[in-house]
Amino acid sequence: MSALQRILYVEDEPDIQAVARIALEMVGGFTVKTCSSGQEALREAVAFAPDLILLDVMMPGMDGPSTFKALRELPELAETPVAFMTAKVQPAEVAYYKSLGARDVIAKPFDPMTLADQVRAIWEA
Amino acid sequence: MTDDKAAAVAEQLARLRNDYLARLPAELAELNSLAAGLCGGEEHKPEIDRASLDELHHRLHKLAGSGGTFGLADLSASARSLEQRAKGWLANSPDKLEVEARHAFAAGVAALGATLAELDLPASATPTASTMPASAAAPGKYVQVWLVEDDVLLGQELVRQLESFNYQVRLFTRIGDAEHAAQSERPDMLIMDVMFEQEGVNATEKLALSPDLRKLACPLLFITSVDDFKSRVRAAQLGAQGYFLKPLDVPRLVSRMEQVFEQRLAPPQRVLIVDDDLDLAAHYRLALLGAGMEVEVLHQPETLIEKVSAFRPELVLMDLHMPEISGPDLAGVIRQHDNWASLPIVYLSAETDLTRQIEAMERGADDFLTKPISNAQLISAVRVRVERARQLAAQISKDSLTGLLKHASIKEAADIEVIRARRIGKPVTLAMLDIDHFKLVNDNYGHAMGDVVISSVAMLLRQRLRQSDLIGRYGGEEFAAVLPECDAEHAHRLLDDIRQRFAALRFSHEGKDFACTLSAGLVCSSQYPDNTGAELLAAADEALYAAKRGGRNQVRVAAPDIR
Repeated sequence: MSALQRILYVEDEPDIQAVARIALEMVGGFTVKTCSSGQEALREAVAFAPDLILLDVMMPGMDGPSTFKALRELPELAETPVAFMTAKVQPAEVAYYKSLGARDVIAKPFDPMTLADQVRAIWEA
Repeated sequence: MTDDKAAAVAEQLARLRNDYLARLPAELAELNSLAAGLCGGEEHKPEIDRASLDELHHRLHKLAGSGGTFGLADLSASARSLEQRAKGWLANSPDKLEVEARHAFAAGVAALGATLAELDLPASATPTASTMPASAAAPGKYVQVWLVEDDVLLGQELVRQLESFNYQVRLFTRIGDAEHAAQSERPDMLIMDVMFEQEGVNATEKLALSPDLRKLACPLLFITSVDDFKSRVRAAQLGAQGYFLKPLDVPRLVSRMEQVFEQRLAPPQRVLIVDDDLDLAAHYRLALLGAGMEVEVLHQPETLIEKVSAFRPELVLMDLHMPEISGPDLAGVIRQHDNWASLPIVYLSAETDLTRQIEAMERGADDFLTKPISNAQLISAVRVRVERARQLAAQISKDSLTGLLKHASIKEAADIEVIRARRIGKPVTLAMLDIDHFKLVNDNYGHAMGDVVISSVAMLLRQRLRQSDLIGRYGGEEFAAVLPECDAEHAHRLLDDIRQRFAALRFSHEGKDFACTLSAGLVCSSQYPDNTGAELLAAADEALYAAKRGGRNQVRVAAPDIR
């Protein structure tokens, strides 16, 4: 497996976006494309060709799970690993997201110093 | 992670957190008024406004997320529980919501602020004067100024004058009060008197010993009636950015305040790095990012033109030797475009042969930095060049005394905005302003004082008009403003307010106070649907002269007939 480089990150909250960018770009050294909504992600994802997609669960309009389903329908992204990010990490919820086909779930708030390691671990799992 | 990188990361995170904390009070206030709206009018209107509950739910969700991200665990948890409550109501029928439940909810929202009261900002999150932009001082917003002055009358007069320049001023008559407030709030600027007669203390001494006030780390100005060298030195040691003698020359004080805020509000510098060595490019990028710049890296020179058009860099940092296309060739490509003829291009290379360096420079580049280069060297080389390029651009289009657009630029702006207004079907208003009897100011108080009066009109216009409005110095003491999407009535209110504020300003020259007035004329594009920007400016000028003939110190709207 090649190394993780390109991450598509979908999150509606600009403050969290900014912190995650630092965590993933500066700390992790990844190339990150940030989208502020599910719709934007659908428009941009194929062109960006991410190795991994991080999806916030709760967004206005199109939420994480529906964005996930729509992304999966794009042939280019059918196999791209996806991790959800959510504040309410309960076992039942994690199980539900995994049953949808998500690789894993990352708890919010995340630690900006360790987020990159966590993402890399999910990629390598 | 290397120490350098860890420090850059920590700095960036601290920056974001501080920005966030500065914005938080406004967000909480908005949440509060939304939540209070749930409680209002329950007697007549038992159903809840679903839209505002939706909005509350959404904002609480954001707050829970962002608060957690910035380590405000209590705030995040409280917001989360309120969010859940709102979500529950939205899912069932919110119409039947008990009055008690609404009040309890609003009280919960009001209590969110309390989670911050105990917030003790860690030292790492405390901004330093030189690096932190005061986010609350974003253009178009009120700037919070604390004035610590034991002379109540002088204090109140100063508050009044500063407020007409859109500063929000809080007056403290005792240092202790300011110290107390500093434990939970932070202004964008601190102005302090030096001598506190009643308390018998010298503020420069006191400030050095007060951790609460030092922690504010905002720009600091001193005002004083005693000009003693020791206090001046101590003020400098405390990092004061101004030392003003009484009687105060308010326009000069405001001009300094503006300068300080402008420096802090300058947008981040944008740098494009072109280098085929990915690791090295990433390293430079990190270093410049750490210095607060916006940086993009280009690995494939073929996409240079698209990249430059999209990112609009203010400086290009380019490797001299790249495998397929050389730096000088790329510089040549950039220089083929008129728009980028003055875009600074700096080579970065291990080339130490002076002749070859000169050769490279002859082909379109501005400077040459030799690898290896320390981060500090790189940052300062880039920063200085971008600043200079910005100054140059400002000099070309802006008037040096007032920083407003020059005659030609504002005329052009009037034409463009009139055409744009017609296209989008909205009005644009053009205004001309002129200082009354300005010649007398020059004759009685000298040209230097005349300049102060001119710049204070410029400052008032900048402070009172919107960011999207265009303001120019049309001639000596004549100004022009272009107000897009603004009708004549609204513009009249705005300009009349500026007229009154200007008339209330007190200028001081060798201990003597004087005041000035101004007259203005305006015209709205909807009054004359077929005329050009230049014709409308002439109509505004005509209205200005009507105002002059009508006795000055007034604002007139152009007569409906243009000729």
